Amino acid sequence: MNVIVLSAVWGVVMMFSGLFIADKSKAKVVAAIGLIVLLVGNYFDLHHQSFTLSDFNGLLHVDSFGLIFTSIALVSTLLYLLLTGSEMEKVGNHIFEYWALIFFVLCGVALVAVYNNFLMLFLGIEIISIPLYILTGADKRNLKSNEGSLKYFLMGSFSTGIMLMGIAFIYGARGTFALEMPPITTTHLPVMIAIGLTFLAIALSFKVSAAPFHFWTPDVYDGAPTVFTSFMATVVKAAGFIAFVRLFEVSFGGMTDYWQFTIALIIVTTLVVGNITAVFQQSIKRMLAYSSIAQAGFMLFAVYAVNALAKEGILLYAAAYCLATIGIFAVLVKMKDYTFEGFNGLAKQQPLVAFLTTIFLLSLAGIPLTAGFLAKYYMVASAMKSGTYIWLLLIAMLSAAVSVYYYFRVIQAMYFKQGDAAASDITPTFKVVLAITAGLIILLGIFPNSLLLDWFHLF
Amino acid sequence: MNVTEILFWILSALAIGSALMVLLSKNPVHSVLWLIMVFFAISGHYILLNAQFLFIVNLIVYAGAIMVLFLFVIMLMNLNTDTEPQKNKWLRLAGVVAGGCLMLVFVAAFREAEIQRQQANAAVRLVQMGEGNIGLIENLGKALFHEYVLPFEISSVLFLSAMVGAVVIGKKGD
Repeated sequence: MNVIVLSAVWGVVMMFSGLFIADKSKAKVVAAIGLIVLLVGNYFDLHHQSFTLSDFNGLLHVDSFGLIFTSIALVSTLLYLLLTGSEMEKVGNHIFEYWALIFFVLCGVALVAVYNNFLMLFLGIEIISIPLYILTGADKRNLKSNEGSLKYFLMGSFSTGIMLMGIAFIYGARGTFALEMPPITTTHLPVMIAIGLTFLAIALSFKVSAAPFHFWTPDVYDGAPTVFTSFMATVVKAAGFIAFVRLFEVSFGGMTDYWQFTIALIIVTTLVVGNITAVFQQSIKRMLAYSSIAQAGFMLFAVYAVNALAKEGILLYAAAYCLATIGIFAVLVKMKDYTFEGFNGLAKQQPLVAFLTTIFLLSLAGIPLTAGFLAKYYMVASAMKSGTYIWLLLIAMLSAAVSVYYYFRVIQAMYFKQGDAAASDITPTFKVVLAITAGLIILLGIFPNSLLLDWFHLF
Repeated sequence: MNVTEILFWILSALAIGSALMVLLSKNPVHSVLWLIMVFFAISGHYILLNAQFLFIVNLIVYAGAIMVLFLFVIMLMNLNTDTEPQKNKWLRLAGVVAGGCLMLVFVAAFREAEIQRQQANAAVRLVQMGEGNIGLIENLGKALFHEYVLPFEISSVLFLSAMVGAVVIGKKGD
């Protein structure tokens, strides 16, 4: 609850700072203070010291799963700010407003981590989505940014409509918005529940860009200013998964027989479409958009498996994926040329940056000793534990192997090709923060329990 | 016939008559004005049902805001009888089917309610005229600030972000 309140308040603080502080570069300082305040609030949340411990008549269910995810989101946002905060000044003049919108998104993220009611799910998803439509179109003179923003807005509102329709059907069947559902006693799923489940699955698949509802992703991620793509593809996407897992665990956990096959099909399509299309991309930004679809396929295993291992796994996956992707985007945003050729010979010019980028890419590809490997391991193990559709794991392994190809293309370009990769303003601070991010990935890969997963049982 | 019944018949006749005029008048601006009439008549019905909050909201939101938007759009598009676009016959057929379905649902719902009324004792009525307090602002306020206080407050964040966004997108000069 602390984070929900504080992030909304700090959004307002950011807006008013814009009024009184003329120096645009101070925006990231105010935002950094805000994020630290939020982290402190989150710390007290974890220790059950909150503005209010009320669950608001069952509208919220605060548990360690949601709170730890909120910590992951906040730490990722802080690293994002330290790495790419100054790039925001190149997008437009309204830096303070952009940060205000990001704080509102964080409010939504904190909300979808602890919701226990369809009403709160809808509000949380909308609070996350609406600022993103705006951030996508922040670069107003760029036609691609405009196109991406409009596309995102139209398709996003359509999917919200589908979600509302699903919620309405479930309300119609049960007469309440509460998330918990009594186990189904009849042999067949009631029709209204089945329709509601399908619509909710479609809408949330859209929000996390799972195939076949992924068509907006490449255009929006490619069109949006790269700083904001970084935020959208990481914290926001992970939050979508937390909402997805929570919904399917609490609401539909008692009827896995009815939907597990559908989710399995979505996973297969997502993995295959994401990985195969990513292979053919020429621009690294677009490749990362498709790779985020492919990673979404892996994260969907947590929805599919709905067991304790899956919940630990999705937290680890969220952390690993957020850190690595924020790192890569931080490097990408400094580059002049976003194609693979643009990275040619980066290792000669910026040996440290190239090395750290390699760590991020290895983590995304799921090479051992990185957090990405363990995250993928947890996902596959949880699916194995659920015991159905073992062929799914085979496809997951194959697509992970395909993903190695396009991640290694970047490494190959940096180390084994001649060229003059042009990267602008790489400061010592940037290098230090990038090294910290890479260090966190390695540490998470070696000590996942003491760094993250033990907290799960601690609070 | 008491006063309530007389008022009910007058308002009903007004609503149906104005609704017909919406369809029959050639000038689109007149149609909109007749539609406002319909909303006023329906708001009158809400008063008869003792639903004061719905009455006020219906007036402010529908008769006020939405109809003004309608008028703006019609004036911007510069529609008049000469340039009225001809709809193709499939579209008209679809409209008839959709409207007919809605009417079917209404008739079915009322019939169901009437059957239940007859089965139960006679004290159960289809509508409560001039009594009952479900539609009062007091009850709405209690629900909003007690049961649903969290979504009520949180939605302010949603509106605030939409407003900030409108300013960021709409501001001139950059």
